[in-house]
Parts: sequence; C-alpha cells; structure tokens
Amino acid sequence: MDPLHFVHINTGSTEPIYRQVIEQVKRRVAAGQLKAGDAIPSVRELAQALAVHPMTVSKAYSLLESDGVLERRRGLSMVVAAQHQQAQPTADRAELLRPTLQKAAAEARQLQLSKTQALTLFKTILDENTP
Amino acid sequence: MSHFPNPDCAAELTGVQLHYPKGPAVLQGLDWQLRPGQVVGLLGRNGAGKTTLLETLLGLREPEAGRVRLFGQDALKLDDAARARIGYVPQQSDLFEAFTPAQLLAYFRSFYPRWNQAKVDGLMSRWDIRADQPIRKLSGGQKQRLSIIRALAHEPDLLVLDEPVASLDPAGRRDFLRELVGQVMDRGATVVFSTHILSDLERVAFNVAFLSQGRIALQAPLDELLDEVRAFTGSVTEMAALMARLGAEPLRRMPLEAGRERVLARLPAATALPAGVAAERVNLDDLFSELT
Repeated sequence: MDPLHFVHINTGSTEPIYRQVIEQVKRRVAAGQLKAGDAIPSVRELAQALAVHPMTVSKAYSLLESDGVLERRRGLSMVVAAQHQQAQPTADRAELLRPTLQKAAAEARQLQLSKTQALTLFKTILDENTP
Repeated sequence: MSHFPNPDCAAELTGVQLHYPKGPAVLQGLDWQLRPGQVVGLLGRNGAGKTTLLETLLGLREPEAGRVRLFGQDALKLDDAARARIGYVPQQSDLFEAFTPAQLLAYFRSFYPRWNQAKVDGLMSRWDIRADQPIRKLSGGQKQRLSIIRALAHEPDLLVLDEPVASLDPAGRRDFLRELVGQVMDRGATVVFSTHILSDLERVAFNVAFLSQGRIALQAPLDELLDEVRAFTGSVTEMAALMARLGAEPLRRMPLEAGRERVLARLPAATALPAGVAAERVNLDDLFSELT
C-alpha cells in the first residue's frame, strides 16, 4: 500500500486530521477497496507521507482498531480486520454519506436553494468527478 | 509563584516578566511548560512577542522577573552538556556570511559531542546547497535550509524553530516537515515552533499554544480543541445559562448588538451537544483569530 496515496487530508478543516484519516479508511473498507488482511502503511510511513505528527496517525489507527475496522498483527503492523471480507451492502455504504449530506442540506437551506437546485448541483458534481 | 522546578520538563517558564527597553510589557507573568517529546506550535499575532518568548526560553534574554529552566537547569547558566542538547533556528539568519557552508558546519561540529555527518551530507545534497561558495551568495531559502541543517546536525533533544519556513516554497516546506516528522519526532525530541503558515502547524504540531497579552492563554492538543470548541450565539443571559448547563469553559466572549453575544467555549471532553442547541464548529484559523 503506497503511503502517499493511502489517504488525503485537508488542512483548515473543522475536522481534525485524525478523524479525516478514520473516515477515509472506513469508507474505503466499506467500499471493498480495502479487504480483510490487507496491510496498511505503518504509523511512521503514513506520518511521514502526510507530514503529520506520528501521534495523529497512531490515534486514528487505535480508534479504527477499537471500532473493529483494523486489527493488529504480530509485531506492530496493522491489517484490515478479518470480518471485512467484501464491500458492505449499498444501503450501509449510503448511510456513511448521510452526515456529509446532512451538512450540505443545512447549508442549502441557509442559502435558500430549492430542492431541485440543490439536487441538480449534486448531480453535476457527481458527473464532473467521474473518472 | 513558587514551586520546585519540574525535572520532567524540557523547558519550564514560571512567572516570566519582560519589557522592551523603554517600551511596553511583552511577557507578563508568563507560565509555560514543554514536556519531553511534545511538539508545540506557538501562535500569536505580529508583535505579540513570539520571538522574544522563544529567545527568553533559550536563555538569550534575561527576564526581569520569573524563572526559565531548560532540562532542569537555569537557562541563563546552562552547562555545555545541556547547551549541546538544544537546536535553534532563529527568524533572522545568524550564519557567518563570509564562510562557506562547509566551513560553517565544520566550525559548529567542533562544539558538539554528537554530530550526525551522514545526515548533514544527505540534507545538503537533498536540499541542493553548494558547500563551497560563500554563504552570502546563497538565496534566502538556501540560508534558511542551511540554518535548519545546522540546528538538526547534533540531533538536539529540544528544537526551537522561529518561523523556520518563511523563505521556503511549498515543496521545500513539505520536505522540511517530512524531515521533522521522520527524524526529529521519531526520536522523541521536544519541538517548539512559531509560524504564520497555519496549515503547516496543523499538520505537525500536536499541541498548540496561544500567546496573548503576554501570557500563554491556552495550550492544548489541537485535535481536542477541534473536537471540543464550539461557537455559540445568543443573549447574554441565555449564554450564561447554556455554559452552566453544558459545563463548558468559555474561552472568549464577543459582544454583539442588542444584548447578544458570541461565545467561544470548550465543551467537556467526549460530551455530545444536546439536541436543539445550535453551535458552530471552528477550525484552526478561527481559533487563531479569536484566541490571539
């Protein structure tokens, strides 16, 4: 797993970096991009790749471990936990998107956009980013 | 303030007072502790006294009152062994301009019992600094890199960085941060640095310290502040009741029109906000502008 492309972080966010790491790893496991037994970068590798304090990465990994997303192999290396054999059902994955969409909905209401306007924008954005 | 020096601190400032000559007070009874292995970003407005504070911490300025201790010793009377454990990158380059980098580094090497020449050679080539031309011919960014190499060469236990990346481009800054993370933090060194580039600070400073009105107004892990600090708006009486109900610690109150105010407050750890209470999350920029 290339540590430089494992997760991406945004500075200036209201979301601390350790949470950004947690949420991205959860999404990638939910989507089946990361599966049971897949090795993930070590704390040192990821800290250096992201240029963040190693404690930030180890905090994220520990919380992912206690949430059952990662598990510790012999030694210090971490792998995706055994229960994550395949991608989660679509409904469960969609649920992971809810908090972001709730925030977007609140902002759309503040901006007094209609449902159609907001949904059209979301559709456009989905199309734009299709690789 | 009277207490025994804490030998567990890499640096400890107690009740430090300092005026500029014939000028205003800069440090006003400042208390500050840096524990071994902590990486602390120092935040403050221009003119708040960050450089003065870092110089005082290093024993380069004598406070009018209060005490500064480094590794348990009086900062003004450090022995050579303690001095050799400190690395400092000053805001203004203090390199000997007539020397070449090779001469400068050889000179400094003679002062330190520990010196990692392999690291020096590696950084000199990675950061593209010619060892054999006079320092005055180097660019601002190259001088800053050389100053960083000099400060890292003896693998200090306490590294003090005052605007270390001001002359570096984004790629140079990222490379410097990686070096800090990979080498310095990995060794468990204590690091304190000031920078105006908040994105850099957010990445590597596990702790942030806010210098305001001559004191460290707040020092805490940045993760915790982003998780726990919220901005609330309402009438003054509502706000007082809400703070009491939440057990929140107000950090700053800003009066608004019509008896209303905006309160920046820190919630107790791991408490969720009750339903129906409106609050905004904050980022590091918000914390900087409201707490310094």
